[in-house]
Amino acid sequence: MQLVSIEEVRRIEALLYQEARLADESRYTEWEGLVDDDMYYWVPAGHADGDPSLAVSVIADNRRRLKSRIAQLNTGARHAQLPASPMRRVLSNIEVNKVETPKEQGTREYAVRANFVLYELRAQSTNTLEVWPGSVEYRVRARPSGDWKIFYKKVQLVHGSEPLATMGFLI
Amino acid sequence: MDSSPDYSRLIQSDSVHASLYTSQAVYREELEKIFYRGWVYVGHESEIPHPGDFVRRNIGEEPVILLRDRKGELRVLKNRCSHRANLICSDGKGNAKNFMCPYHGWVFSLDGQLLDVPYPQGFSRDKSESGLVALPLVDSYQGFVFASFNAGAGTLDAHLGNAKQVIDRAVAMSPVGRIKLTAGWVKHKFYANWKMLPENDTDGYHVNFVHASFAKVLRSHYDDAALQAEEDLESETIDWGNGHTELNLGPSYKNEMVWLGYTDASRFPGYVAALEQAYGHGRAHETLRAGPPHTVIFPNLFIAEMNIVMFEPRGPNECVQWHTPMLLEGVSDDLNERILRQCEAALGPAGFLLADDGTISERQQIALKSGNAWLDISRGEQREKEGPGDIRVGHVTDETTNRGFWKHYRRLLSR
Repeated sequence: MQLVSIEEVRRIEALLYQEARLADESRYTEWEGLVDDDMYYWVPAGHADGDPSLAVSVIADNRRRLKSRIAQLNTGARHAQLPASPMRRVLSNIEVNKVETPKEQGTREYAVRANFVLYELRAQSTNTLEVWPGSVEYRVRARPSGDWKIFYKKVQLVHGSEPLATMGFLI
Repeated sequence: MDSSPDYSRLIQSDSVHASLYTSQAVYREELEKIFYRGWVYVGHESEIPHPGDFVRRNIGEEPVILLRDRKGELRVLKNRCSHRANLICSDGKGNAKNFMCPYHGWVFSLDGQLLDVPYPQGFSRDKSESGLVALPLVDSYQGFVFASFNAGAGTLDAHLGNAKQVIDRAVAMSPVGRIKLTAGWVKHKFYANWKMLPENDTDGYHVNFVHASFAKVLRSHYDDAALQAEEDLESETIDWGNGHTELNLGPSYKNEMVWLGYTDASRFPGYVAALEQAYGHGRAHETLRAGPPHTVIFPNLFIAEMNIVMFEPRGPNECVQWHTPMLLEGVSDDLNERILRQCEAALGPAGFLLADDGTISERQQIALKSGNAWLDISRGEQREKEGPGDIRVGHVTDETTNRGFWKHYRRLLSR
């Protein structure tokens, strides 16, 4: 594992906080601007943490499906987010590691872990507060041009194996 | 307890009363008369292929263990120690040689017999009378396992009735006639009454409205099957009797494999060849065109095209919909992975479809909270047709399926 500088950590934290804020505020298109062309967005079903080609997940979006998910939200007719849930999430316990062999040559790559708690007001139906706690793993890519993108996000919910309320937002 | 509600008044042929979705008394009677007195779906044989394999399930609100015993027989045991009512098994699935209660160490065999009681001198009862409760009726059809707490529930054959040919159609999607539920389950919680699940899942009228956002961004088989002008829709609603209901989308499909999101079957030549080999050219290509059924089997199983879904009641105002992809035996991993990805796209808390259905069901539950309203299920009464074997067939946007569900429900609850 290579040493990660304070500056790199700060830059990555800023990216993650921005990602969290855009998700909280349902700014889907701006959020999509933070992810790369090979983005994989994965919410395993709790225990089913194995191979997503064999086990059913809550979400297992490749880039194309994620694009459709965001397009569906942007129609303004996605009842599950009509109106969008007021949300706030807290991101903590951030650990940053540099990946020795980046997936894309000539870039720097970071494996990042964090914990989060998301509070969601289910404004479309029950008007109750839903709590979504979990851990999250990101892969972040830095290109020599200074472009920073997320290309992997795995959200492991604490209660992923239990019955989950409708989750139409970006977690 | 209050006297039983008057179901013949609350359930009319063209409308049902809101209290049926909100009343605690109605809910308790449903548990007794539907979930504890009749046949209920508990799982699939492919989930427990080997002796000792088990899965935890709930029938109504009773925790049970579905397992395969040493001899390979299917058994369903109450998941409750005969001593002081502790859960015998807390794992969701696994393999066991026997079950030991973690409270006082009582040990039970896979057929529920009490084998061992620690500190035996203080135990004065007969071990043979202190076993786990085994459900008296357990039977399977094409690998689908059903059980009943009631020895007098009749045969599974009689309960399934016309639904047997629906199950036959589902397993015939596999060239070897077998499915496998090995991908695990996602559970989606609705703050709504459980009956919204069977009713909405075979409602063809809502698709254009609840799923408008889906239809705008993705081409799918629902474009042909449920999103045309009224006179162009060729799909049907079917009341198969015994509360089993179907949204028959097949008549709308012109090309093969549109039900899996393709315009033809060229992507899967091996699958086509295997089906032809197994069933002959004509039947194979009819299967490839018409696709799998979209059918609720009363009270808690939904064969949801290439998915298997279970309904779990949790009080009048909450329920859980479980889902897993209906993977096929005898096909390529590639095809099964496509089935798995389609399952995730459609179903569950973040599904392109079910997230919206869940939200609408919860809004319905809020709107009928007072329990003082009527819900209209009359649509298409005047154009419904009688089919062979006493079935009823309606236009895909008609409430033939709701009427079929409620007719059977009224018969059971009025007993």
